[in-house]
Amino acid sequence: MSPRRTETGGRIDRLRTIRFTFDGAPYTGHAGDTLASALLANGVTLFGRSFKYHRPRGVLTAGVEEPNALVTVLRGEVREPNIPATMVEIYDGLAAMSQNRFPSLAWDVNAINQLGGKLLSAGFYYKTFMGPVVGPLKGTRFWMFCEHFIRRAAGLGKAGTAPDTARYERMNAFCDVLVVGSGPAGLMAARAAADQGARVILAELEPHFGGSANWSGETIDGMPAADWAARAAGQLEGHDNVRLLPRTTVWGYYDGNTLAAIERVTDHKETPDKGEPRHRYWTIRAKSVVLATGSLERPLVFPGNDRPGVMLAHAAERYANEYGVLPGHRVALFTNNDSAYRAALALKKAGAAVVAIVDARPELSSEMRKLAGETEAEIFSGHAVIATEGGKALSGFKVQRFDMASGALSGDARSIHADCLLMSGGWSPTIHLASQAGAKAEWNEALQAFLPPKPTTRQWIGAGAFTGSFSTAEAIAEGRAAGLSAAGATATPAALPAVGAAPGDPDPAPVFEIKAAGKSFVDFQHDVTADDVRLAHREGFVSVEHLKRYTTLGMATDQGKSSNIPGLAIMAEALGKPIPQVGTTRFRPPFSAVSIGSLAAERFGDLKPERLTPMHDWHVANGATMYSAGLWYRPMIYGHPGETIEQAYVREARATRESAGIVDVSTLGKIAVQGPDAAEFLDRVYTNMFSTLAVGKARYGLMLREDGLAFDDGTTWRLGEQDFLMTTTTANAGKVMQHLEYFLDVIWPELKVHVTSVTDQWAGAAIGGPNARQILAACVSGTAVDNAALPFMGIVHGEIAGVPVMICRLSFSGEMAFEVYSGAGYGTHVWEALIEAGKPFGLVTYGLEALGTLRIEKGHVTGAEIDGRTTGRDLHLDWMLSKKKPFIGSAMMDREGLIAPDRLELVGIVSLDNQPLNGGAHIVEELDEANPHGSLGHITACCYSPALGKYIALALVKGGKARRGTRAYVSDPLRNRFGPVEIVSNHFFDPDGSRMHG
Amino acid sequence: MVERQSPLEPVLHPGSHGNFEHGVEIILSETRPGSILQLAAWPGQEKALMAGIRTVTGLALPDGAGGGVTDGVRSVFGFAPGKFTMVDEAEGLASAFADVVTPSIGTVTDLSHGRTAIRIAGPKAEWVLAKFFAIDFALPAFPIGAGRSTMHHDVFAQIQRTGADQFDIYVFRSFARSFWKALCHASEEVGYEVQ
Repeated sequence: MSPRRTETGGRIDRLRTIRFTFDGAPYTGHAGDTLASALLANGVTLFGRSFKYHRPRGVLTAGVEEPNALVTVLRGEVREPNIPATMVEIYDGLAAMSQNRFPSLAWDVNAINQLGGKLLSAGFYYKTFMGPVVGPLKGTRFWMFCEHFIRRAAGLGKAGTAPDTARYERMNAFCDVLVVGSGPAGLMAARAAADQGARVILAELEPHFGGSANWSGETIDGMPAADWAARAAGQLEGHDNVRLLPRTTVWGYYDGNTLAAIERVTDHKETPDKGEPRHRYWTIRAKSVVLATGSLERPLVFPGNDRPGVMLAHAAERYANEYGVLPGHRVALFTNNDSAYRAALALKKAGAAVVAIVDARPELSSEMRKLAGETEAEIFSGHAVIATEGGKALSGFKVQRFDMASGALSGDARSIHADCLLMSGGWSPTIHLASQAGAKAEWNEALQAFLPPKPTTRQWIGAGAFTGSFSTAEAIAEGRAAGLSAAGATATPAALPAVGAAPGDPDPAPVFEIKAAGKSFVDFQHDVTADDVRLAHREGFVSVEHLKRYTTLGMATDQGKSSNIPGLAIMAEALGKPIPQVGTTRFRPPFSAVSIGSLAAERFGDLKPERLTPMHDWHVANGATMYSAGLWYRPMIYGHPGETIEQAYVREARATRESAGIVDVSTLGKIAVQGPDAAEFLDRVYTNMFSTLAVGKARYGLMLREDGLAFDDGTTWRLGEQDFLMTTTTANAGKVMQHLEYFLDVIWPELKVHVTSVTDQWAGAAIGGPNARQILAACVSGTAVDNAALPFMGIVHGEIAGVPVMICRLSFSGEMAFEVYSGAGYGTHVWEALIEAGKPFGLVTYGLEALGTLRIEKGHVTGAEIDGRTTGRDLHLDWMLSKKKPFIGSAMMDREGLIAPDRLELVGIVSLDNQPLNGGAHIVEELDEANPHGSLGHITACCYSPALGKYIALALVKGGKARRGTRAYVSDPLRNRFGPVEIVSNHFFDPDGSRMHG
Repeated sequence: MVERQSPLEPVLHPGSHGNFEHGVEIILSETRPGSILQLAAWPGQEKALMAGIRTVTGLALPDGAGGGVTDGVRSVFGFAPGKFTMVDEAEGLASAFADVVTPSIGTVTDLSHGRTAIRIAGPKAEWVLAKFFAIDFALPAFPIGAGRSTMHHDVFAQIQRTGADQFDIYVFRSFARSFWKALCHASEEVGYEVQ
């Protein structure tokens, strides 16, 4: 038997022993234990070291609000820091480590920080990291050097560097009623809503449904509350219209009643089942939400309140009742309210000796006197704890007479021996989600707590302790009413389950702090003391928002769940204002820590979908080196063994010019433009005329943006009187589609035109070269492909290898070339037939590199030149700017700035030192390697030209056209490339187009 | 007749996969319809188009956004105002509509090669789809026959419910393999069979 495990009781499975390690030491616990309860059962009291001072810390709470007992959980090489030990369910093989200590938890060298209390007070960072402004160290990096060590000494756990191999998933859920929290209020709400036929989701952050019923020791409906809760949850599980989500924290409340939740699916398992995610990120869209999130007990602020062994009263009660663990054998209680007496009694019943009850209130009610009597404790009413004693564990504390009204201490202090001190400073409703939803909290003087406002819509409805109704009987009644209301039903009188509970007044005394010598902690996680809050006030921070940022109170992983109200009360007192005038901060998501993996969800490790052409597998099987172009994958080269990339593309480009080459152009954007007004629409979209285009012909078109800059180019084919096939660049296909849809939907809704993406409908192969026509003639049936039947920009329909194809004679390579389109499902079949037909002619397959080479040689533009900054004129496409009609961008294209003579214009560049050129390299008039300056423009695309036998490039150069025939230099200091170049026309090769016209 | 090549061929592995602790709860298949059309009406011509669909296929579309109907061989559903996706097991449906959907009514666009049809069926179909799409898949919200247009990140998808626990998903052909792999991955935890 573990030293602090009770003989009986608790909801753990005592027949199942779980083995785990903490800081490498082996321990055992039982199924149902948290790491905190199991370690407490083993007699462990020291759980961690504090943030700044490295003070020894124990476990303060039993739930999600835990500020002290943060651990790092190890799974193989993966480490996850800052997990509250109270939220870790133990499993066989669990390995947990304490944090922020060196070399060990028990002997931490940075505990010396405790001696530097004044130095490390509020605003330490702001005062320290400014660096010396006078003296010999001024202007040096000395403080950067110091910062490294200071940062090492302060902090929480360390994140790991090993890749997280766990799986995360996203879920979308819709419901009529989302119930957050499954205490008696939540269970009643879920049942009431479900009985109305509503679709209900019940989310509970703990592993078991029931909330406080699991440890309150009360009875509901004549049975232990925990059994009632289990039965109620079981009944809900049988409803088809109810989804139960245990281990699920609803952490964000967003517009439109969209809530975010994280379900910890396998954190409690040694190994996940196949395919099972570690976490699910739920996006829940709820018509109505019942917030039954309960309340959080507040600590009292007094010197030494952070010593291991000092614990919230309800937490101790929970450890005793739910886990069968005594947090101490000699227990005392310090409280300002009645609720904690129940905890003292629970520990007494579990076997602890209750040595003292210290109550800040001068008088106790007869009911509390009776309860206190049952604990056999010595009662100190009108007293306060003024100090705690012990080292890494509590050994005792001191009490002194206390005047609640003035806060004054009087009389002699008395020492009391105890190994566990329970404290209770009242309760704060867990209003975080309501606050996120926009509700402004209202201060309740009687309860000394911020409460949510009464909701004015059905967006959300509160129930139970969340509303400040702290008794279980109230929770049950409110829960049912909220469930009915959320489901749109009217509450009718009904017999509610009877509750057997200890009596008690829910109103605490307005006591938050006992002022005495020593460090009194307000925010345990960030080591913020009551003196820090007062220091902030003295230094001029009067707003609660500034207080938070200056002292860091309420920050870090617990987000001040236990510290916000005490901190606010101390600030209010310093300001001499009532608490509601000081106000409170608005809670933001997340309510508690959320794994980054769950936010990435299915995109974790798989960032984007792959987009594949119909011939993708053929390319891979035939030696293509693929690379990504946006989401697409395209062949770069079809390299031969031993070839460099340059050798491969030069071979492919040269062979195309000498005989024939074929390239996969399926990625080109293709948009069906259909309808009676299709031609008129295209006239407005393109800079040139399309209504004059004959059926069966194609035309090259240029689009401008509304601001007059070039947008995209491509050919559009007229397949029928009212039926056009527009092609766009691969990169801009989506943008062009949106552009067209916008103009049809918003600007010209009167036009009868439909646009549809048909990019994926068609497989496209471009075959070009002197022998291209012969190859086509060898495999195409049903149509002639000679110059008469298929002139330049003509379109014919035929068959290749039994498959219908559409062939358009157009050229990007500058060769006699054809684009062959077939249904995508036949793409590979047609491609292979073309390859076969091309074998006698030495047809080569070529990739994007050769495609780029051929188009650079021809001076054709792509997205590298249509870069959002260039005009049609900059690219020498003036001839396409119709003067006969308006078009998108025509009103703006003649602006002064767009026709200025010194604009960057498209030119060709030839390397004069026979060395490669680089994209992005600058063109300059004077070479100055030491001080590069005077850029005339930059290179947009470059290659080795097999047709010219030179390294060439396209570039955008100031006044480029006028510079043709002049010398300049390439200046590329990043890649250390400098050298002479000649500026020439962008049409390097076959400028009169004789090859493609045949 | 040349057979159309599916983009899923290299990744479509018939058989059972994933976690079978609770049996196979998902069945994935590619339905490979012969015809997938987009039928779109001009504003005011929606009823005429719906009548045309009935004339050609016998399918009577209900009114309302996303309304649809299936007879197991042919299916049709609205995916945008005045726009419908029409699917037939047989090829050549486009030509059947050419005379019915006149230029005064709307347009017919053949997407038979451009879209890949993936069927997900089984008791966990709604669960798996909820991983991908922010759509309420519950039967009352998404009745049999109805269709939806949606996205999974970069993948545009049209979904028609063709059974109480059966959905047909139409994705762009070029994305189909990637989407299929994601669908299999998401189905692992509940066990899936590829048919």
